[in-house]
Amino acid sequence: MDDIDAMFSDMLQEMDLLTQSLGEEAESAPLPKPPSIPDPQEMNFSIGFTDLNASLHDLEDNDLDALMADLVADISATEEKFATKRDTFTGSAPVAPIPSQPQNNFSLLVSTDTFRPATSSNSIAAPPPPPASKPSKEELEEQMKADKIKLALEKLKEAKVKKLVVKVEIMDGSSKTLMVDERQTVRDVIDNLFEKTHCDCNVDWSVCETNPDLQTERGFEDHENLVEPLSTWTRDTENKVRFQEKIDKYEVFRNPQNFYLWKKDKKSLKDMKDKDKEQLLEENFCGASVIVPDLEGVLYLKEDGKKSWKQRYFLLRASGLYYSPKGKTKASRDLVCLVQFDNVNVYYCKEYRIKYKAPTDHCFILKHPQIQKESQYIKYLCCDDEWTMTLWLTGIRIAKYGKQLYDNFKVAVRKAAGSATWANRTIQASSSASTPSPTPKAKAANGHAPQPAVETKGSGNQTTFPPPPPSMEILPPPPPNTAKVNKFPPPPQFPQSSFPPPPMDDLPPLPPPQEDAELPPEFLPPPPPSLTSNGGEALPPPPPDLFASLPPPPPAPQNFASAGGAPPPPPPPPPAAHKPTDFVRKVAPPPLKRTTPQLTAPSGGDFMSELMTAMQKKRSHQ
Amino acid sequence: MAAWDLTVTVEDLGPDAPPHQISVTSDLHIGGVILKLVEQTNLKKDWSDHSLWWEQKQQWLLRTGWTLDKCGVHADARLVFTPQHKPLRLGLPNGATLKMRACFSSPVFRTVMGICRVLNLRHPEELSLLRPVEEKKKKKDKDSSEELYDLTDVPLTAGAQNNTLKKLLMHYCSKVWTLYNGMPAHFADSPKTEAVYKMLSVSLPSPAPEAIAKLYRPASVVDKTHIHTRWLDSSRSLMQQGIQENDKLWLCFKYYTYHDMDPKYDAVRLTQLYEQARWAILLEDIDCTEEEMMLFGALQYHIGKESLSQDMVSSCQGMDDLESALKSLEVKMVGDGNSTDINTVHNNLIFDHFPPCRPKRLTLKGYKQYWCKFQDTSISYYKSKEDRYGEPIQQLNLKGCEVAPDVNVAGQKFCIKLLIPAPEGMNEIYLRCENEKQYSQWMAACKLASKGLTLLDSSYQSEVKNIQTFLSMQRSSSAAPTAQTDDSINTHSLVSPRYQKKYKPKQLTPRILEAYQNVAQLSLTSAILKFLQIWQALPDFGISYFMVRFKGSRKDEVLGIANNRLIRIDLGVGDVVKTWRYNNMRQWNVNWDIRQVAIEFDGNINIAFSCVNADCKVVHEYIGGYIFMSTRARQQSDTLNEELFHKLTGGHEAL
Repeated sequence: MDDIDAMFSDMLQEMDLLTQSLGEEAESAPLPKPPSIPDPQEMNFSIGFTDLNASLHDLEDNDLDALMADLVADISATEEKFATKRDTFTGSAPVAPIPSQPQNNFSLLVSTDTFRPATSSNSIAAPPPPPASKPSKEELEEQMKADKIKLALEKLKEAKVKKLVVKVEIMDGSSKTLMVDERQTVRDVIDNLFEKTHCDCNVDWSVCETNPDLQTERGFEDHENLVEPLSTWTRDTENKVRFQEKIDKYEVFRNPQNFYLWKKDKKSLKDMKDKDKEQLLEENFCGASVIVPDLEGVLYLKEDGKKSWKQRYFLLRASGLYYSPKGKTKASRDLVCLVQFDNVNVYYCKEYRIKYKAPTDHCFILKHPQIQKESQYIKYLCCDDEWTMTLWLTGIRIAKYGKQLYDNFKVAVRKAAGSATWANRTIQASSSASTPSPTPKAKAANGHAPQPAVETKGSGNQTTFPPPPPSMEILPPPPPNTAKVNKFPPPPQFPQSSFPPPPMDDLPPLPPPQEDAELPPEFLPPPPPSLTSNGGEALPPPPPDLFASLPPPPPAPQNFASAGGAPPPPPPPPPAAHKPTDFVRKVAPPPLKRTTPQLTAPSGGDFMSELMTAMQKKRSHQ
Repeated sequence: MAAWDLTVTVEDLGPDAPPHQISVTSDLHIGGVILKLVEQTNLKKDWSDHSLWWEQKQQWLLRTGWTLDKCGVHADARLVFTPQHKPLRLGLPNGATLKMRACFSSPVFRTVMGICRVLNLRHPEELSLLRPVEEKKKKKDKDSSEELYDLTDVPLTAGAQNNTLKKLLMHYCSKVWTLYNGMPAHFADSPKTEAVYKMLSVSLPSPAPEAIAKLYRPASVVDKTHIHTRWLDSSRSLMQQGIQENDKLWLCFKYYTYHDMDPKYDAVRLTQLYEQARWAILLEDIDCTEEEMMLFGALQYHIGKESLSQDMVSSCQGMDDLESALKSLEVKMVGDGNSTDINTVHNNLIFDHFPPCRPKRLTLKGYKQYWCKFQDTSISYYKSKEDRYGEPIQQLNLKGCEVAPDVNVAGQKFCIKLLIPAPEGMNEIYLRCENEKQYSQWMAACKLASKGLTLLDSSYQSEVKNIQTFLSMQRSSSAAPTAQTDDSINTHSLVSPRYQKKYKPKQLTPRILEAYQNVAQLSLTSAILKFLQIWQALPDFGISYFMVRFKGSRKDEVLGIANNRLIRIDLGVGDVVKTWRYNNMRQWNVNWDIRQVAIEFDGNINIAFSCVNADCKVVHEYIGGYIFMSTRARQQSDTLNEELFHKLTGGHEAL
């Protein structure tokens, strides 16, 4: 225990330095959270790297900052948690099974995500509401206690959030590294990548996994979580995550007739009217149950454990993939079920003609996502041509995911439409988006506008321009709590230091029409995403005139300078900003001493210091 | 104008009473005739529901303002003065027979509306009336065994049906029924009517397997075309179609498109639709695969069990809310459960473990005893109880694994087969439990763990209980096959006769049990919805088959009519030859003289066919009906556009 303590005080000092240099309120400089034994399955926290070092060094500044901020925030959250818990436990209230201390599930990158707007708003909502009818004092206390327990539990849950550092290969051979939080869906990650890659943001972009052992590839569906499948990869895996366009991803929604009426002649399908396509989609995806395309035909099946491929007549049903055995009819009762889709995914295969002597190169397999190597539990299938394969793969995906797929598509279309106007992405925007993402929940609540964009607008107006009342009027309906939190950062913070990354927040929100003409030259990245996001939300766009005539106000250049100098990562939110809103965080951040509960293992220390070295190194380069 | 004598039989005077002769002139209107008649009978009663039926012409004289001349009634006419509402024995989708009053004078479409109003069934346009199959067999035992529900008294409480109907109509219009005791007011009158409502809104217990086997099952597509010879014509009245008082008719969902299904208002509709779907599957009216049948069986079992436990229909909304709130709180707490005490079940378990990836070597021997511990989502096993604080021999995380039962109650074999995914493939592991109790606990734990839930999850206890009840099925399946009681059921009554023949109950139970595990957590309503959803996802769902002969073709073929398309099917092979979609349809019409349906599609495609066994009016109604159904989504209002329906389905007779 003692050496662990010692180690932590070391770390603490380092962190202190760091936080001070960041211009943070030093008083809250918290104590590193005792990392516990990482759960064996969660060890694998970086994907696509040889080791942790590499992954950290590769992480972009802003990600690193975010990560750091996370950890810092996490620590203070842990402190509060214990403070809260001590509270609860001292009381005589009947305490429901309160977990003592999360032990198992902290992995190294686990952290509380303080940026999460949804979370903070949740917790704001949660604190003890004074009951309407005046309850007795005891009742009130009970109530408070119960709420505290609830809050503590929520915090605990949050604290378990797992994060992965993932290296994503882009088609041009380059790669991007980003941090993915286990709550993020593939959709969130794609949005994130849109901002990092300057691609055209069309609906076909997908995040795919490749497995060189099996020579397979699969595009993740937008609603899936990315962290979960990645964490089942083996430690020495050569699997890769790729970001690429896949035409097949949503083709069924663009040309449903090719999938649902594939038996008809191609010519009549080609010039199908949009109205008819819509109706097809409506019929098949909007009813009580999704209708799976009625696919049937001969495919080759690799016999279990054998090398030979046998032709079988396959039929696709909502309940699974079937074939009709030799000498039997195609009647439902005679069909043999090859596989049901609950536990398997479908994968494209490459060059199976060589690898498995397949009749053609158009092969796909069905397997449990955790299986990574050749196995008798994999079903190998082979089609005559590419189009047949597309048909079957799409059909199987529809059978497996149902309406979800259509919903994904609709979101993708909206995003693509939204992004089209953002074509010239700003660095600011990208850094903003790489902040630990808003939860899907927050997103849903706000339509498709990414939270950070809203923040940009809110605080931008506040900090950069001396806030004239009219400027408030042109603000979109103030974004809920998020904006509120970020809107009042302690102003001195920004000009003060040159190297703590100025938050993207304090760039002036410039309406797109003016941006090119009006911007100071150093200000490279043009369009503030806020506006488009507003447009997307169908909010009245701000009258451009107001800004057009405004020269960048005095404080702006400073910010620009720093913004131009380095891609500005979002700063860790100043604790002060949270104080007015968040009940739990109001509990005074404990001073610099350790309550150090249940220190278990020092394994996390390496990581923390590694992280800090990495950050410092980056900083010194600037 | 010359007066002449009109002969009218007053039905209320009995069959033997001589017909009345009233002296009329040709310009007397129908209302006047009725007035004269009533005066002449000298009988004091409410005649408001009575009207004149012209027997020879098989038509009602309902327009009281029309003169006899205009109606074409002359001295040779034999009229009957009879009530428009008469009792009818109505077969319901669940197989029960309900005696109730229905309108014999309005078009069947409207009669069905009236019936559905009384039964509290929304969207009556989806249903229609079927004549029963001609019963050749001894009728007597059929009738005596038939349990008859009676609703004929209901309207009589107010004295006249019209009043009650008005009352009902008011209810119906307000959409939100005033509920007494969880049911519409008119059912709350007496225990008898309450029982009727229960029969309508709660699914009936599974029938005995023998009963299923005895019922008629269509053996081929051709057999499936026969049902369409029995539909009543929607645009004509019951009397016009030869239906007599107290005749039996079946009320069925006719169109396979269910608009705006809302469990809140549709208790009866959902239940009856479920019953119809269930019977369609049990009687092999719609084909499904073995896997699907097992799932249907599991769902039926679950629905049956839930229906029994459901105390009347009155599920209190408030309680539900509270429960869900509690549950969500519980989940929150559980999500962070780390305290090992609660989380651990220590159990002495005979545990068999084989080296991974060599499942082929599995034999029955070689079960080794280990001390096993279930914690979070993992099983750890130790050499002995004493070693349990040390390192386990192995720890298996069950998250994402497949759990399958391998149980034989009679043989006292309680095994759990686990397929645990690993990078190299699946690890097959068998756990052998000592007894039923231990099995249910471990099975429930494994099942939850595979979904990433721990024993702290609120569903654990119910899961254990579910497994126990299901196991008791196997024990009691040898007992006399009776209807489903609390915890005994014959699995044979959950599947169609084909599978009854294929599997013994002993073999069937584990398979249904396997499927059951995926649905055991569903609430009654969600289970019913799930059943309907899987039913609707079957490839052959929603196709009505007609035997037709296409113009220019020499052989009979089958035409399938679905909600969005027509399908031409080769009778010999059963293959789909061609499909035409309605949205490519320009127009269709019927040549009533030669009984031929002609349809024109985009691109100058014309088809024409005549019907071999059913009336072409039925085909016409089906096509028009589906087109009518598709207009509902666009119409915002709740009112049924009766006129449009008749325009689309009526043919020349409607107007």
